[in-house]
Amino acid sequence: MVLVVLPGVLAAQAGGRKRFEVEAATVDQALRALPIADLLYDERGELRPLVNVFVDGRDVRGDGGVDVPLEGAREVRVVGAVAGG
Amino acid sequence: MSPLLLVGTRKGLFLLRGDESRAEWKLEGPLLPGWEVFHAIRDPRDGALYVAANNWVYGATVQRSDDLGATWERSEGLGLPEDSELKLEKSWHVEPGRDGELYFGAAPGVLFRSDDRGATWEVNRGLLEHPTRERWQPGAGGMCCHSIQLDPSDPNRLYVAISAAGSFRSDDAGETWTPINKDVAADFMPEKYPEVGQCVHKLLLHPGRPERLWQQNHCGVYRSDDRGDTWERLDGNGLPSDFGFGLALDPADPDTAFVIPEISGEQRVTPDGRLGVYRTQDAGASWELVSDGLPEPSWTGVLREGMSFDAESVYVGTQSGSVFAIAGGSRWVEAASHLPHVLSVEAAEWSS
Repeated sequence: MVLVVLPGVLAAQAGGRKRFEVEAATVDQALRALPIADLLYDERGELRPLVNVFVDGRDVRGDGGVDVPLEGAREVRVVGAVAGG
Repeated sequence: MSPLLLVGTRKGLFLLRGDESRAEWKLEGPLLPGWEVFHAIRDPRDGALYVAANNWVYGATVQRSDDLGATWERSEGLGLPEDSELKLEKSWHVEPGRDGELYFGAAPGVLFRSDDRGATWEVNRGLLEHPTRERWQPGAGGMCCHSIQLDPSDPNRLYVAISAAGSFRSDDAGETWTPINKDVAADFMPEKYPEVGQCVHKLLLHPGRPERLWQQNHCGVYRSDDRGDTWERLDGNGLPSDFGFGLALDPADPDTAFVIPEISGEQRVTPDGRLGVYRTQDAGASWELVSDGLPEPSWTGVLREGMSFDAESVYVGTQSGSVFAIAGGSRWVEAASHLPHVLSVEAAEWSS
């Protein structure tokens, strides 16, 4: 099981729930198990470009993207990009 | 009945409840905080709120509330088919249909229909695959399908307007679409009067005289009395500018319309520093300024969805966060101030 933590704007879209424990082998599986998966992925199934995902504090984009295995990971944190101030 | 204004802003949705005189208003919100509300409307058939809401990280959505904003349901699976090679960019406008259906306009120049109260949507193929699409181009706000108008006298006739593709009419319930842009200028194009490519900013049909259409365009104000087959240009009859966004009609009088001119597409500010609402009561043959109660000087603007009307009044929301209503005939009252940048105003009713 891995804990997925959502920012406030997504938690509001998930019935007010900020934390989800999901059974998943990869980051991608963990994110697609969420009730707000359509807000993370576009209609082609691609992660939206301004959605950042951190596994135990590390940005998955630098570690192989959302297909990276979650073996031993404790927390997946979704963070909207803050570019622009 | 008393007015309920749905005020969409860059930072959520606000509800403004007015008394019958439209002089006193109470503010509620923000609802859907964190979402840019491009348009919100209350479905007169069942009271549901529908919101075209966008988030710059999480994309374009349509949201429904059956309890006036206490809880929300988000449409799922919203997107464009893979064979179109297009992706949904922004939600723009929701329009209740005639029977149980809903329509939804979006960028890039697409129309959807739902027959299950917005749970699922089907894209309109006739518009998606329109043979002129390659000649369409995005306006400053993207290639937005922002106006959807239904002919109350013919269940097969509907209209859309897209910036910058122009206006289109369907006489077969959305199967095919005819460009209706004859005599409508596109000064920014090499050919000034093309078949498509006009930058229409808002298109409205008069519900009591449905063959009559009005449009505020990037290049003029126009009226058609033949379902868009031909247009008469009206901004030379006393308006200070051909450019503007907001458009409102009087449902009781097909000769009355309201616009808010701005200086040119390059400047987009009020003429002479005055937030001026101009009214015609003779089908556009002449225009008069209706500004009593509006702030002056004011350089603020009003966006394409920032103007609405009901049987009693006209409502205007500004980019500086104010909402104005006409109370007692012709004087403007500030119903709210210091809101976030207003993107849309839509009038509904509530029981006080």
